[in-house]
Amino acid sequence: MRRYARLYLLYIKSHFKVMMEYRLDFLLGILSVFFQQFAALFFLTVVFSHIETLKGWDYYEILFIYGIAFLGRAIHHIFFDNLWTLGWRYIRTGNLDRVLLRPVNPLFQIVAERLQQDGFGQLLIGGAVLYTASLKLAIDWGVTEVIWLVVFVLSSGALYIAINLFFATLSFWMTDSLPIVSAVFSLSDFARYPMAIYSKVITFILTFIIPYGFTAFYPATFFFEGKQSAFALATPLVAGVSLVIAYRFWTFGLQRFASTGT
Amino acid sequence: MGRPILEVRNLVKNYQILEREPGLKGAVKALFKRTYRQKEAVRGINLDIQAGERVGYIGFNGAGKSTTIKMLAGVLKPDGGSVTVDGRDPHRERIENAKRIGAVFGQRTQLFWDIPVQESFSLLKEIYQIEDAEYAETLQLFTRELELQPLLDIPVRQLSLGQKMRCELAASFLHRPRIVYLDEPTIGLDIDIKETIRAFIREISEEWGTTVILTTHDLQDIESVCDRVIVLDDGRIIYDDQIRTLKETFSNERTLEVTLEPHRLFVLPETLKNRVQLLESGADDMTILAFDQRQITSGQLIREIVSHNTIQDVSVVVPKMESLIRKIYRKGA
Repeated sequence: MRRYARLYLLYIKSHFKVMMEYRLDFLLGILSVFFQQFAALFFLTVVFSHIETLKGWDYYEILFIYGIAFLGRAIHHIFFDNLWTLGWRYIRTGNLDRVLLRPVNPLFQIVAERLQQDGFGQLLIGGAVLYTASLKLAIDWGVTEVIWLVVFVLSSGALYIAINLFFATLSFWMTDSLPIVSAVFSLSDFARYPMAIYSKVITFILTFIIPYGFTAFYPATFFFEGKQSAFALATPLVAGVSLVIAYRFWTFGLQRFASTGT
Repeated sequence: MGRPILEVRNLVKNYQILEREPGLKGAVKALFKRTYRQKEAVRGINLDIQAGERVGYIGFNGAGKSTTIKMLAGVLKPDGGSVTVDGRDPHRERIENAKRIGAVFGQRTQLFWDIPVQESFSLLKEIYQIEDAEYAETLQLFTRELELQPLLDIPVRQLSLGQKMRCELAASFLHRPRIVYLDEPTIGLDIDIKETIRAFIREISEEWGTTVILTTHDLQDIESVCDRVIVLDDGRIIYDDQIRTLKETFSNERTLEVTLEPHRLFVLPETLKNRVQLLESGADDMTILAFDQRQITSGQLIREIVSHNTIQDVSVVVPKMESLIRKIYRKGA
C-alpha cells in the first residue's frame, strides 16, 4: 500500500512537470471545461427564469445538486480519466502487454499513467457552485454535515469511476467500448435533476441498474430540510458495492484478455 | 547443469480468427453471422533453457515466435502444456514473475512517452523496487555502455528509433532480471547501433549471468549474441542446437558462384549431377551451386565447370549463418 502511494506520487510529479511544459494546453483545457460547465449552468438559469420551481425543487436546490455532481465528476476526471482510453490506447496498440509485464497492479498503472488537468477547472466550478447554493439554502452546517458532504462527494466520484470502469472493461471483448462508455456516461446528466421529474422506469434504472442517481441527487437531498430521500445515506454503500462489482468484472475481463491475446 | 531456469512442456496456443468475406457485403454479413477459424499458433513446444544461456529464437513471420514469448513472459495464458520460469508458473504468478524478468517487445515502448528518459528510469526504479546504490551503479554502467548521457533529459517521444531502443534496452535490464525477452530489438536500426546493442546484451549477460531469449530477423544478431539457436516453423521447433554445432554440421558446405559470358546457357556436366545442387541459374548469367567439400573439392568442381562452360568469373563462398538457417527451413518444411 505504501509502495503504491509512493509510486503514485512519483507518477503525479512527472505529470505536473509535463503539464508545466505545455502551459497553454493546460490553460486551454481548464478554460474549455469552464465553458462546458457554464453552458450547463446557463441553461439551468434560463429555465428557472421562466419557472419558479421544478416539481417542487427550486433553483438553488438544483444548483446544489449540480455542485455535488461537478465535484464527483472532477475526482473521476482528474484521476481516472485514462479509463476512457483502455480500448484504443492499451488494447488495440498492445500497450496492455507492457502493463502486464510489470510487477504492479495493471489497473493501477493505467490509472496512474494519466492525470487530467482539465478536471481542476471542474473542481473549482463545482466548489463555487456548491458554496453559492449553500449560502442561499438555509443549510445548518455542523461537523456532521461537513463530514457527510465529503463522504458524498467521494462516493459520487467512486460511482463515476465504477460505472466507467465497468463499461470500459467491455473493451476486452470488443476492442474498444468507447461508444458504449460515452453513451452510458451521458446518462449521468439526468442524475443532476430531481428523480421526481422522470418516469418510473428511468428512476429505477438510475437508482438500481446504473446508479447515477447516487452521484448527486440522492445525497444532495440529505441537506434539504423535509425533502430527504430514504436513499441518501445509502450513497457510500452503493458506491462501495459498485466499485467491488466493477473491479471484479475488470479482473474477469483481464483474464479473458490473457487467454485470447486480443 | 542444474535445473533449467526455463522449462516448457508441450506448449500449445490457438487463436480464434474471425472469417470474413471480402468487401462491404462480407463485413455486414460478419455482423450477424460469425464463423471462426482456429489457428494453431503454437503446437506443442518443448524447451529447456539453462540460466545464463543466450538463445536465438527465429522463424518466419507468423511462425509463433511472439506468441511463445508472450506465454513465457506470463502475459498470455497457454491453451495447453506448461511453462515454468525459475520454478514458477509465469501466468498464474504473473506479478512475482514480472519482478525477475525484463522485456523489449518490438516497437512498443517500456518507457513513459511524455517524460524524460531519466524520469522513466526513476519510475521503473520504484516499480521494481531497486535499491538506491544498485540503481546508481547500474545506471552508470548502462549510461557508459549505451552512451545514454545526452539522452537522459529528453522526453521519450522526441528520441529517434535508435536512441529509443538503447533506452528501452537499458530499461529492460535495469532491475537486473534473471531472464530477458527481446523481441526484435534491432529492427529498423542502423548497423552501428545494432553493434552497440549486440555488444551490450552480450556483455551484461556475461557479467550478470542473465538468460537472454532473442527473436530477430537479422541473423547477424544471433551470430553475435547467442550461443544457441532455435528455429520455429508453423508453431513447431524444427531445429534446436548450439550455434557451434550448427556451424560444424555445415562446415563442409560451400557454394560456387559462376558468372558466364553473356548469353550463354549453363551446362552442368553429367558427372557432377549427383554431387552438386543447382541453387540458382539463369538470372544475370549467374549460376549458384551448392556442394560438400568431402564429396568434391572446389578445385575439381571448378575444373569440371570450366571445361564445359565459357565463364567470366567464379568464386567459392563459405556459407553464412543466413544460408545455414535457410537450409534448415528447407529441410523442415
